[in-house]
Amino acid sequence: MRKWQVSIAACFLIAALFVPLLVPTDYTLQILFRVFLFAALGLAWNLVGGYAGQLSLGHAAYFGVGAYGLALFSQLGISPWASVLLGVVLAIICAAMIGRVSFRLRGPYFALCTIAFAEVLRLVAKNLPSVTGGDVGVQVPLLFTQSTIRSFYWSGVLLTALAFALSAWIERSRFGYYLMAIREDQDTALSVGVNAARCKLWALLISAAITALGGALYASMFLFIVPDQVLAMDISTEIAIVAMLGGAGTLLGPLLGSVVLESAAEIFKNVFKEAHLLIYGVLIVLVVLFMPEGIVGTFTKKLGLYKKAPSAPFRAPLPSTTEEESQRIAVDE
Amino acid sequence: MFNWLYAPLQAILNGLLTGALYALIGMGMALIFGVMRIVNFAHGAFLMMGMYATYVLFQATGVSPYYQFPFAGVLLFFVGYATYMGLLRRIRGQVDFMVILLTMGLALILVDGAQLVFGADYHQINIPLLSKNVSIGSEMSINAPWLVSFAIAMVLVCALYWVVTRTMFGRAARAIAQNPYAAPLMGIDVHRVQAIAFGIGSAVAGIAGALLLPVFYLFPEVGNQFKLKSFVMVVLGGMGSIQGAAIAGLVLGVVESLTSLYWGNEWALAVDFVLFILVLSLKPSGIFGSQRA
Repeated sequence: MRKWQVSIAACFLIAALFVPLLVPTDYTLQILFRVFLFAALGLAWNLVGGYAGQLSLGHAAYFGVGAYGLALFSQLGISPWASVLLGVVLAIICAAMIGRVSFRLRGPYFALCTIAFAEVLRLVAKNLPSVTGGDVGVQVPLLFTQSTIRSFYWSGVLLTALAFALSAWIERSRFGYYLMAIREDQDTALSVGVNAARCKLWALLISAAITALGGALYASMFLFIVPDQVLAMDISTEIAIVAMLGGAGTLLGPLLGSVVLESAAEIFKNVFKEAHLLIYGVLIVLVVLFMPEGIVGTFTKKLGLYKKAPSAPFRAPLPSTTEEESQRIAVDE
Repeated sequence: MFNWLYAPLQAILNGLLTGALYALIGMGMALIFGVMRIVNFAHGAFLMMGMYATYVLFQATGVSPYYQFPFAGVLLFFVGYATYMGLLRRIRGQVDFMVILLTMGLALILVDGAQLVFGADYHQINIPLLSKNVSIGSEMSINAPWLVSFAIAMVLVCALYWVVTRTMFGRAARAIAQNPYAAPLMGIDVHRVQAIAFGIGSAVAGIAGALLLPVFYLFPEVGNQFKLKSFVMVVLGGMGSIQGAAIAGLVLGVVESLTSLYWGNEWALAVDFVLFILVLSLKPSGIFGSQRA
C-alpha cells in the first residue's frame, strides 16, 4: 500500500512539473500554486498532527514568522533568499519555545495553547507598527525575477515534493515509529523508553521549518502582507483541515486533501462570494461524521489494503477516568 | 486631591461591568467543558446567533433587548440541544481531535451562514437607555445599559450556579463529569443530561449576545473574540469549575480595562493570551479552581 502511495505521489508531482507548459493562464497557475502550497503545509502539519497525534492549531505562527522574516530581514538589506533562510531559523527558534511550553499539555489543552501562541504573535505584529508595519502591512521582495508565476508554481511543487519525501522517510524511520507510538499511547511509549518530549519537539521543528518556507513563498507571491492575513487563525485551521480531510497520519492524505479542499473552495467562491468558508464547514462536518479517518484513511480501510491485524481474543474494558486521573490529564510530568 | 485615583477606579468599575458579561460567557463554556470535556469552538458562533436573533426581533417589534433576551436564550437552548443530539452524540468517545474539528466546522457554517443571510455589514441598535448615565460622586460615571446588563448577568450567574449545585440535573451533570462510566449505572440518562447541559451552555452564550447587542457592534465574526476569551476564562478558572470561570470573567474584565488604560486598547487581548499561557504552563489547574471537574 505504501509503495502505491509513494508512486502515485511521485507520478503526480512529476506530472505537475509539466503543467505550466500546458496551462497558459496565470490565474489557473496561481490557484494551482495554492493547491501545492497547502499540500506542503498539510504534509508539514501531518508530522505533528498526524503521526505524533498532537493537534496543533497554531501553525500560522510559523507561517507568519516565515513570511515576516523574509519581509523584515530583506528590509535590513539582506538578500531575499538569505532572508528566507533567516526566517526559517527564526521560525525554528519560535517552535522550540512554543513546543517546550505546549508539549507539556495534552489533548484540548495543547490545541488551545498553540492557538494562544499564534494569537499573541499576531497581536504583537499588529501592535508594533515600528517593527512590522502593523496593520498597514509591509512590503515583501519578489523571490523570482523571471516568469514569476511559473517560478512560484514550480517552487510550490518542489516544496511539496520535499515535504513528501521527508514524510515518506520519517514514516519508515525509527523516529517516525516513535512518533506513532506517542500518538497511540504516550504513557506506554514513555514506559518503553521513547523520549516523548524530544521526539515531539523534533517533529515540530521540522514541521515549523517547512511551514516557514511556505509562508515566505506565499508572502513573496502577494508582495505585501498584514498580520491578519499571514498570522490569522484561518491559516492555522486551513492547514489542519487540509491534512485531516485527506487523512491525518497518511502520506497521501494532505496532498489529496489540498486538491479537494482548494478546488472546492475555488469553485464555491463564485457561488457564495464572501461566505466561501461555508463549504469548509460543511466538508469538515461531513468528514468528521462519516469519514473520521479522512479520505485516504477511510478508503484504505474499506478496500482492505492494509493487512488485517490479528484480532484480540477479548475486548479490553474501557479505561476508567477516576478523579485523580482526570486531574493528571492536563499536565504531563 | 484623589484625582490620580479616579482613572484607575473608573477603569476597574468598567472592567467589572464588562466582566459580568464575560463571566456569563465563560460559565456557559465551563459547563460544557466540565460535563463533557468538549472544547466548544462554536461557542462564539452561538453568541453571534443570539445577537442576530435579538437584532431581528428588535427590528420587528422595537422591544428593548433588556426585555426580550429570554427569547435568545430559549432559541439557543434548542440549537445547543439539537447540536448535541444531532452531531456531537454521534462522535462521543472519539478523540478530542474530532470534537474540536466538528465544533470548528459548525462555527464556520454558522458564521458564514450569517454572512450569507445578513451580509458582512456592521449593525448597531439605538435604544433610549443608551444616552443615560449614572454618576458616582463627581468624577465617575457609568453608562446605564452596562449597569442593567451587569444586574441581569449577575442574576443569571447565580441562577446557573444554583442549578448546577442544587438541582437534580446539576447533580447528574456533576456525576457524569466525575465518572462518565459509573454515571449511567446510577440510572442517569447520560445523553439527555449532556444535551441539556450543552443546551444551557449555549443558551447562556445566546443571552450574553443579547445583552451585548445594545453596547456593541454586530457583525458575523463578532463571536470569535468572545470564543477565545471564553477559553481563557475556562483555563483561568480551573478546568470545568463554573464558579471559577465566573470569577475569571470578572478578573479578565478588570485586567483588560486596566491594560487599556495604561498600555492602550490594542494590547488587551494580547494580555489575555499571555495570562492564559502563563496559567497553562505554571498552574494548569487554574488560579481559582477547586480541582473538581
